[in-house]
Amino acid sequence: MTTPTAWALRAVVSAHLVAIAAQPVFAGVYLTGDYGSLRWHAVGADVTTSIGYVQLVVAVVAWVRMRQVWPFLATLAVVAAETVQYFAGMESALWLHVPLGVTTVAGVVVQFIATWRPLGRREVRDA
Amino acid sequence: MPEQYGVTRRRLFGIGGTLGLVAAAGLSTSAALARRPAVTGAELRSAVPLPPPFRVPLPLPAVLKPVSTAGGVDRYAITQREVTAEILPGVRTPLWTYEGVFPGPTIESRRGRPVTVTHRNDLPVPTVVHLHGGRTPADSDGYPTDLVLPREWDHGGHAMHDPRAVVSELTREYTFPLDQRPTLLWYHDHRMDFTAPAIWRGLAGLHIVRDDAEDALGLPAGPRELPLMIADRAFTADGGLDYPSLDPTLRGRPGVREEYLAGVLGDVILVNGAPWPVHEADAARYRLRLLNASNARHYELEAVTGDGRRLDLVQIGADQGLLAAPVTHRVLPMAPAERHDVVVDFSGVPVGGLVRLVNRLGSGRTRDVMAFRVARRAADDSRIPRTLSTDLPRWRRSDAVRVRDLSFRAGRMHGRHGWLIGGLPFDPARTDVTARLGDVEIWRLVADVHHPVHLHLVGFQVLSRRGRPPLPHDAGLKDTVALRPGEGVEIITRFDGYRGRYLFHCHNAEHEDMAMMANLEIV
Repeated sequence: MTTPTAWALRAVVSAHLVAIAAQPVFAGVYLTGDYGSLRWHAVGADVTTSIGYVQLVVAVVAWVRMRQVWPFLATLAVVAAETVQYFAGMESALWLHVPLGVTTVAGVVVQFIATWRPLGRREVRDA
Repeated sequence: MPEQYGVTRRRLFGIGGTLGLVAAAGLSTSAALARRPAVTGAELRSAVPLPPPFRVPLPLPAVLKPVSTAGGVDRYAITQREVTAEILPGVRTPLWTYEGVFPGPTIESRRGRPVTVTHRNDLPVPTVVHLHGGRTPADSDGYPTDLVLPREWDHGGHAMHDPRAVVSELTREYTFPLDQRPTLLWYHDHRMDFTAPAIWRGLAGLHIVRDDAEDALGLPAGPRELPLMIADRAFTADGGLDYPSLDPTLRGRPGVREEYLAGVLGDVILVNGAPWPVHEADAARYRLRLLNASNARHYELEAVTGDGRRLDLVQIGADQGLLAAPVTHRVLPMAPAERHDVVVDFSGVPVGGLVRLVNRLGSGRTRDVMAFRVARRAADDSRIPRTLSTDLPRWRRSDAVRVRDLSFRAGRMHGRHGWLIGGLPFDPARTDVTARLGDVEIWRLVADVHHPVHLHLVGFQVLSRRGRPPLPHDAGLKDTVALRPGEGVEIITRFDGYRGRYLFHCHNAEHEDMAMMANLEIV
């Protein structure tokens, strides 16, 4: 049986993935001249970073309850990158914003795979 | 058991670590390769030795005398012709000019007093004159296909592509009602496909509009009002102006070599046609009427004293005349075709001191623009009133009857690289925007790289930048707004004045020549 903490982690990482995957969509649509997408990109940035901070809290709980530190460390790295990303976007530092954005999406994808695979295997054994 | 998971964990750390390495490598590569600050364009290198800065005195373009002032109209005649001039000391440079000088002669005019200019084309190619910032009827606005053909031109006009073109032979009379706010305008060539190289060769001049209200403000005037046309150029080994045209005769194939598609930058900064000039100034306030007449170069200007102090640049006017109130800058960004009217006070500079006008976006020699040598103490009765004007339009968002989204970005046209507005290359036969005379509209402009967007006929106000309030230098009434990479800007304007076919376009002159223009039909 999967613990509530593990489920919480999966849920928040999944939401995080959905939110962050939308960001390049809004950016791309904006650059085609759809000005309203800039607003959505900004809202998406707020949502993504907020989920990141929620994930950090859940990851601390996972560290305590499941004795797993890696979700916390990985989340810390992603949240740090997202914070830099947020301000790079506000300042239009595109040389940083574009590659960091791609990297951050990759980071969240890795977390998504990690939370849905190895956690599950461990829990099956534990059960 | 934990050992078993240790494998997974180790693998995870491996994946995480690899991702971290890839990220670090990617970001540092980006940091190393990226142009910071961003620059759109490529720089030509002059093949002649460049003069040291601040030796050549600042020239002031001569004011053109009217051939007639009868009937309440000032009439001027300008001949466009080739000359050879000395721009760099000891170097002879062939130029295309208005009336034999670069910059062209300045036209001084009064608000509401019409000016007609008869241009005669003695150049080897067709020309078109546009008065940038002028509130001008469409038939005198210099539409790119309204060519003035030179004698013995057998290459045809662009008339076959554009049935509405009005082509004239040898001369054309342009009429400017000048029923508009006083400001610094500039006239320049606007020929279809060849605007950028024509301006580069020297076809640009100043046109000032004044009125009694502005004269009464007590701003620095006379010798303490300096028009400064800033433009970059590069020189070939034989002293000519270097430009990467595909067809150097500018008769057949338009365009520039591939590496210059984003814009042509020169390594010599000219002010009023002189390289890095110096001007002897009183220790007093000066009114600097700045124009960025460069094809693609952006500036971030600051006035730096000998001891490294930055003087205030007090902006009193924008593209379309006086601001409501002065705005104080330390750094003033300036995109191609933008004008800033600023007052700078040299009274705190010791006699003999040098104040350099510096471009923070430049590097090496292009960092310097010009300098002022404070030569003497002097009385100064000029002032900068707290209220400069009260006639600025007050358009509100709720006044707008239409909101348009327009993208300015790279793309393909006719199988070549081009620059597109709303995904389309310029076509004289297609109306892109139809606006009703008197309507207020909001335009939302989005750029991929730097695009200084210019509307003919009307001035506009900047409502927002990147979804946030406009920047300090966006104040006042403008006709050109600088979009930086990835940036979105909202502008509001009222289409009034005249009906007819006008343009809006990117004023990076190379982008403009590579189709970044669109038709604005006022009905």
